[in-house]
Amino acid sequence: MADTEKLICSKCNKELELKRTNFSYLGHSFFTDLPKCPQCGMVYLSEEFVKGRMSEVEMQLEDK
Amino acid sequence: MSYLNDLVVDCLQFERAFCGAECPFNIDVPDFIGKLQQGRFNAAYKTYQHAVGFPGIVSSLCHEPCKLVCPLKDNGGAISLRLLEKAAMKYARSTNPDQFNMPLKDKRIAIIGGGICGLACALRLSTRKYDVTIFEKSDKIGGHLYDVADSKIFLEDIELQFSFESYSLVLNSEINDLKELDFDAIFIATGKGGSDFGLLRSNDGAYATSAQGVFIGGSITGANTMQAIAQGLEVSNAIERYLKIGKMNQPEAEKGTKLTLDAIRIIPNDAILPANADLYSKEETIAEAKRCLKCKCDACNHYSPLLSYFDKFPRRVTEEVEITIVPSSLDGDASIATRLIATCNQCGLCKEVCPVNIDVGKFLLESHRTMREKDKMPWAFHEFFLRDMEFSNSDAALTKLPEGYSKSSYFFFPGCQLGASDPEYVLSSYRFLTSRFPDTALMLNCCGAPADWAGDEPIHNRTMQQIKENWISLGKPTAIFACPMCKKMFQDYLPEIKGIFLYDLIEEKDITVNNKFKEIAASVFDPCASRHEPELQNSIRKMATKVGFKLEPLPMEGKMAECCSYGGQVAIANPPYARYTAQKRIAQNDNPYITYCSNCRDIFTREGKQTWHILDVLFNLEQKSRETLPSISQRRYNRLLLRQQVLSEFWNEQFTIKNEDMVIQIPEKLKEKLNNEYILESDIQKVIAECEQSGNKIYDPAKDIYTGYMQIGNMTIWAVYRTTKEANYELINAYCHRMKIED
Repeated sequence: MADTEKLICSKCNKELELKRTNFSYLGHSFFTDLPKCPQCGMVYLSEEFVKGRMSEVEMQLEDK
Repeated sequence: MSYLNDLVVDCLQFERAFCGAECPFNIDVPDFIGKLQQGRFNAAYKTYQHAVGFPGIVSSLCHEPCKLVCPLKDNGGAISLRLLEKAAMKYARSTNPDQFNMPLKDKRIAIIGGGICGLACALRLSTRKYDVTIFEKSDKIGGHLYDVADSKIFLEDIELQFSFESYSLVLNSEINDLKELDFDAIFIATGKGGSDFGLLRSNDGAYATSAQGVFIGGSITGANTMQAIAQGLEVSNAIERYLKIGKMNQPEAEKGTKLTLDAIRIIPNDAILPANADLYSKEETIAEAKRCLKCKCDACNHYSPLLSYFDKFPRRVTEEVEITIVPSSLDGDASIATRLIATCNQCGLCKEVCPVNIDVGKFLLESHRTMREKDKMPWAFHEFFLRDMEFSNSDAALTKLPEGYSKSSYFFFPGCQLGASDPEYVLSSYRFLTSRFPDTALMLNCCGAPADWAGDEPIHNRTMQQIKENWISLGKPTAIFACPMCKKMFQDYLPEIKGIFLYDLIEEKDITVNNKFKEIAASVFDPCASRHEPELQNSIRKMATKVGFKLEPLPMEGKMAECCSYGGQVAIANPPYARYTAQKRIAQNDNPYITYCSNCRDIFTREGKQTWHILDVLFNLEQKSRETLPSISQRRYNRLLLRQQVLSEFWNEQFTIKNEDMVIQIPEKLKEKLNNEYILESDIQKVIAECEQSGNKIYDPAKDIYTGYMQIGNMTIWAVYRTTKEANYELINAYCHRMKIED
């Protein structure tokens, strides 16, 4: 995630770093490394990630 | 879930075709014909050979009872099955019987009578390697076949079919007493006028007599030649059962069929006659086979948009739904039919076309409720629509008596989507109604269909209760509906509220001929909820004709009305299906459509079909185009606007539409994206307000833009924006996801 360096948490004024982020959907839990503020934990999800891998997993869970 | 089995117990999916049911051999004709259609003569021949035992004899002598029941009999000529059978035999690579390498069995069977019935039984049992002995009183086998056929033909066939099997033949041996025979089982096939040894058919099982181990069948019991062969083949099963378990209670083979002609789509076409006397060429065989309708009951699979899209029949649906609702997988969460359940349009066509009225739609709705109760139905499939309903029933709702009245005879219930589509529909209609019946009240509310379709009974019950209380407050008036779906919902869940249609009150004198529509060829698209409203369907046609349209029928209309794709609100659960269904509906013909459901109108217009709502026509409103269709956000705004306008025009009351303080500039292209992805502009406002207020946002210094998110309902919505001088904020992008961010 080359873009990470360019993203800054507005509140803490810290650069985002790749950190474990947890998700849940339909009773299932997941985690993956995503750009996150090292101080307050504010996470960034790009549209590419949301429409790509995340959407695929959502569909799979709905059809499981 | 006993309802599951009850639902499909009468399903005719596996009922025999008429021809096969009439055939003494129960030939699986659709299977045989299917192979011929593909030019697979050898495979077709094998099917035939296995069914009839002696294909040479049967194809020469069969009197074709199948022809009398073929639906093509009066539609170009019945299928010539006997000629197809002859052709299969002629063009098969090999007509040799199959050779089975099995160990001999130690059971001995005596067959009394060397006629074709006894021989058929001997053929089956010797193929299964039993020790068979035929006792024939004359000096030759074949029995009565000598009276009806050329001996060369049948003797050749008998020899061929027994090529790999052996049996003992005792000629010139008349059996006078069964005690002479020391065998494990006996089959009496002595032919017409032969001895029955004083035994009769018993009712204990197929071909059984009252004597232990003794069976009887063939011409002695009144069978004709074909029946005698078929019985000889069939009795072998009863005998084998007796030899294995000592019981003669083999059930009689089921005959006949419950299939009805209503279930068959008959396409008349002329019979192919063989150029060469009594034998089809290969090409003629394939052409004749292709005429066959392969009769089966597949009406639901053919007509129901859901069952045809998923290519399923009710039996399969119930099985998949059962394992979804009552999961049997190890982790207990397999739910293979979730999307299928959530894709049903609830249009009722499956039940309408089913000869035994199987209501798959009702079953799926009940399953939907169970899934929701168990929290197994993904919330995302219905949350947008439930929020939309909540909006209609709160911010945009209104229940009001006209000024000066304490109760009313009628109340107008336009439904939530009519005003959302265009407030003018409701305003024009209400003006008309109050001019005719000044005490007509108004109720702006949703009929509860979204909650019903979502299987959400608690929300649905609350909505019904709210409508009922509103109705009581108006003095229990009769409802006037503009939308057939609202009326159907009231009929199903609020039967105490009587209802009529707005269109019932529009008289001939109210309709003026409009040159704009004169001589335009158009077709009325009946909404699925109008299926059982023939008077409404007629009056819409009368009105459209009076205005000037030249109406042409659609293939699917009236009782066969199809859903436009909106029903069940399946567009989020299954977007490709919704699109596919809408496209199919508009392709019925090239005419513009006239409809009387705003959802049908909006969906078809969006798909590019010129479509009028009947109110466009009656009140001479401007026709919508794809470009002027309201977005999901505008549909909300339109409902507020409608509330504002009716209050002002009819009650002289002011209603201020609350505008968020924030001004957000959204490029047109992005508005289209938000609309397609069911993201409300009002939700974007909430996201940006939350980000700005909390400071929880990501800054991209290279692009000078902010990104932030907020969970609204269960959905997480992201906004990418920048601050501007002209507007407070400019939206750059937005997207949403169903997964919840946990930390």
